[in-house]
Amino acid sequence: MRKNSRSVAALFAVSSLLMFGVHAIPAASAADVLTITIGASVPLTGSIAKEGILTKEGYQFCQEKVNALSTSTIGGKQKKIEIIFQDDTSKPDIAAQNLSKFNDKGIKLILSSYGSANVNAQAAVVELNKQTMVDSGGADNAIFNKGYTRTFNVMSPATEYASSMVKAIAELAKPRPVTIAFLSADDGFSKTVTAGGVATAKALGFTVIGPEYFPNATSDVSAALNKIKAAKPDVIMGSVHFVEGVALIKQSKELGVVPKSFAETVAPPILDFATTLGPLAENVLGSAQWTSTAKGQDRYFGTAKSYDAEFKARFGHQATYHNAEASAACLAMVYAIEKAKSIDPDKVRTALSTLDTLSFFGRIKFDSTGQNTFKPMSVIQIQKGKIVTVWPRRDAEAKMLWPYAK
Amino acid sequence: MPTKASFSIASKSSRTLVASVFGVIALAMALALRSQLPGGELRAVSTIFMFIALSQAWNIIGGFTGYASFGQVVFFGMGGYFAAVVMLKYHFSFWLALPLSGCFAALFAILIGQPLLKLKGHYFAIATLGVAEGMREVVINIADLTGGGAGISVPIAGKFAKTEYLGDGGFYLLFLALAIFSLVIGTVVSRNKFGYGLRAIHQNEDAAAAVGINTVRSKVMAYALSAFMTGIVGASYVFQQVTIFPERLFDVEITVLMIMMVVIGGSGTVIGPLLGALSLQFVSEYLREHFTNVHTFILAGIIILAVILIPQGAVNYLREGIRTKDFSLLTNIRRYRL
Amino acid sequence: MDTFLQVTAYGLLQGGLLALVAVGFSLVWGIMNIVNLSHGAFVILGAYIAWEMQAWTGLDPFLGMFVSAAVLFCLGYVIQRYLINLIVNGPVFITLLLTFGINMALIQAMNLVFTADFRSIQTSYGSNSFGIGEVRIPLVRLLAFLLAIVITLLLVAFVKRTRTGISIMATGMDRGAARLMGIKARHVYALTFAISAALAGMAGTMIATIETFDPSKAGKFTLMAFVVAVLGGLGNMYGALVGGLLIGLVQSWAGQYLSGTWVNAIAFLVLIIVLIFRPNGLVGKAFYAARVEI
Repeated sequence: MRKNSRSVAALFAVSSLLMFGVHAIPAASAADVLTITIGASVPLTGSIAKEGILTKEGYQFCQEKVNALSTSTIGGKQKKIEIIFQDDTSKPDIAAQNLSKFNDKGIKLILSSYGSANVNAQAAVVELNKQTMVDSGGADNAIFNKGYTRTFNVMSPATEYASSMVKAIAELAKPRPVTIAFLSADDGFSKTVTAGGVATAKALGFTVIGPEYFPNATSDVSAALNKIKAAKPDVIMGSVHFVEGVALIKQSKELGVVPKSFAETVAPPILDFATTLGPLAENVLGSAQWTSTAKGQDRYFGTAKSYDAEFKARFGHQATYHNAEASAACLAMVYAIEKAKSIDPDKVRTALSTLDTLSFFGRIKFDSTGQNTFKPMSVIQIQKGKIVTVWPRRDAEAKMLWPYAK
Repeated sequence: MPTKASFSIASKSSRTLVASVFGVIALAMALALRSQLPGGELRAVSTIFMFIALSQAWNIIGGFTGYASFGQVVFFGMGGYFAAVVMLKYHFSFWLALPLSGCFAALFAILIGQPLLKLKGHYFAIATLGVAEGMREVVINIADLTGGGAGISVPIAGKFAKTEYLGDGGFYLLFLALAIFSLVIGTVVSRNKFGYGLRAIHQNEDAAAAVGINTVRSKVMAYALSAFMTGIVGASYVFQQVTIFPERLFDVEITVLMIMMVVIGGSGTVIGPLLGALSLQFVSEYLREHFTNVHTFILAGIIILAVILIPQGAVNYLREGIRTKDFSLLTNIRRYRL
Repeated sequence: MDTFLQVTAYGLLQGGLLALVAVGFSLVWGIMNIVNLSHGAFVILGAYIAWEMQAWTGLDPFLGMFVSAAVLFCLGYVIQRYLINLIVNGPVFITLLLTFGINMALIQAMNLVFTADFRSIQTSYGSNSFGIGEVRIPLVRLLAFLLAIVITLLLVAFVKRTRTGISIMATGMDRGAARLMGIKARHVYALTFAISAALAGMAGTMIATIETFDPSKAGKFTLMAFVVAVLGGLGNMYGALVGGLLIGLVQSWAGQYLSGTWVNAIAFLVLIIVLIFRPNGLVGKAFYAARVEI
């Protein structure tokens, strides 16, 4: 590497290109099986490694189920999907670069990374390379109002995260609260969530306090709490991630801020939330993309309950909504391939845009921007340390308990 | 410029000739590669070029002058955000935004350099880190201008896109040009009076002042120069990524990578950072792709070994080795251990 | 007025926690001129050890922190003696790179062994707080604050009164002279690093009881330690405490009286301003910035 460093680098580059050529899309093997290669760059290390690994598990589970149960054929050949994983170390530029490398190898069908920043970067590259991507990890509406046509999101958009809880409170909370205080992290996703929640709250006749912002990933939200303490809000609605979500509940107690109810995005459905907060987590509301009581079923995973049970048997822990949304994205891709009877990315794209089906995840259908506005988010509540679905009513396992009993 | 015979006692002009010849050959190969490599590979090699440019920039203030800036990424971010804002809000073309971003970063360097460069050693390092982290927070908070935590996007389609998106091949050439530009600047600085002045400041600042070097002016100029070089790379990066977020553009890890490349390659030389950038980027890319589950460990192990065995950097190790005919790595350990 | 008192009290308590995180880092940097980029990883490791202790044996974290301290003491000793000692005489920022590599490896190891789940230590008194007038004081934060003060005082006593402590300071002032006096510099360096790691472990345990932790938070604690140590100043055992309290107060006031999202920017601004007017930190000793090692 010391002498002729540039030419050595060139030699390496060319030889690695040759190595990659060997791994190009395998053509149908002699055994009448068509292996469909799908690319997935997920964060396996770095700041969002935890969610990235959950996403990988969801994709793997889908791959195993589909390959075990698939009966449909394409061009007379039995189809098998193979997902190739790469680590993007939680960085958006590497997430995008990995997709370009997939494109080099002819891999045009993509399952997304996790996190709105990563998916944002990936969606831009997918559009340029004419690949087709199903998104399971970036819900920010901002990704989908850029006019991209090749990325489809199976999740409910970000604006629904807080809005769904506002609607649930409006419908189920008796006596009806008057004021809702909005506390929010300052990253793009959380701000979109807050904007959606505030709009819904005002439309439904609530008095809105705030929104007050705090830095993303902080464990000290005392400043925001102090600011709304005097107003004595009935409900504190937090657009947060796990760390701020836990801090919010803990510091509210420390500082003596006691509303009738807490409602938070993202954090309550995560199992660690209830175990971390113990009795403080009782009756906290949360919103989730999916719970095991969601209505709908499909031929690969069955119902939400069977997904939950079989996932636990396979991976040793309860399925979270990160696992489910990843499996759902993979499922949507598989359905689109079956519908198009082809792996050509343009045909698959067209099939995705016209897809309308029920699944263990709920309804999967995409609007003109590529977002799934047809599936409502579920609102959960932590009751006796367990996560139960309380809204929409038809999915509810239990009645919503009101107010926060502390 | 990469050299082969420079370690021997060849004269300076023949070294320059050999270096230039090799430089031209390398450039021709790099240009030829562009049509050989597919898009993803082009992106990967572009990143290598980007880090070559960045490490050369750091070398000017950190390697030559000896003022190790832990916050160099602030110029990357300021240059990048400047370009994004003028392209988005004032519809500048990229080619106009590019040099302006560099100037903006350089002006910022002159502004903060005056007070900061009075600090020494680790204090200077931490102060620059504070500036970098602080500016990231500022950018997040002036969301009306910069988009804040939601990021900002450079227009690449529609009537506001003054410059057409360069594409993988185009960016390859752009980053290659930036790398060459930085190498040229690095070579010029290492051979002219200004550069010698910087090295004098590194060795003994008071003595340098005593022989008549205006140390304050030299330091600030070096800082501004490295800021300019870093800023234009930041602007190019932003154009390539289209949508950027503050966390990535002010990421302290970028500074650490810059420093690592310079130190592993050999600080205070021109080839050192070049080699460091090439090898480190290449190795980490390769490991990440082929050892998806354990690449972090392997890279950490390589870094630890490299630092223990060749702490003065590869180029300095080789130069001394050729001069003293002693290549033993254990000598290194014996020399530097406590 | 009540809000002001509440915010001030909170700031002081937070400052104590910051000081606890930074004190070990400041010690290593001040005595040995080593910038330990893996300090945050030690803090998180301490948190995990205490968490595991509680999960297995139900040990209360205020006792578990001694276990963390002991384990990290041994780890720190080994790392310094057999890795970092190898490059101490090398160019200045080599230690930066070495500790960066160690940091990478430690974080990834924790990810694999403990998984990246979010964790926190539950205690029955964990969310108690009591009131002094209208001001609420959370119990665990108060205990962490008191611990920070106790540890600072113990450290000061240690380096002034005990033989080992004095030999550590001597080695820090002039390594050559110390060796000539018969002090085993390799051992003393390893001991200093070990103490720093142990303190990091105790800080980690406190963090675990107050907030949630996971491996990706390590960088945040290293950065925190940097800022506080430099602000307070090196070479003085009170430095971390002073720096921590100042940052805690400033952030708390800024959060209340300015918009909540500016707190971090303000902290860095304070750092820069202090460094410009008092280049050696608030209570630091100028000697330490300019010394020459042999």
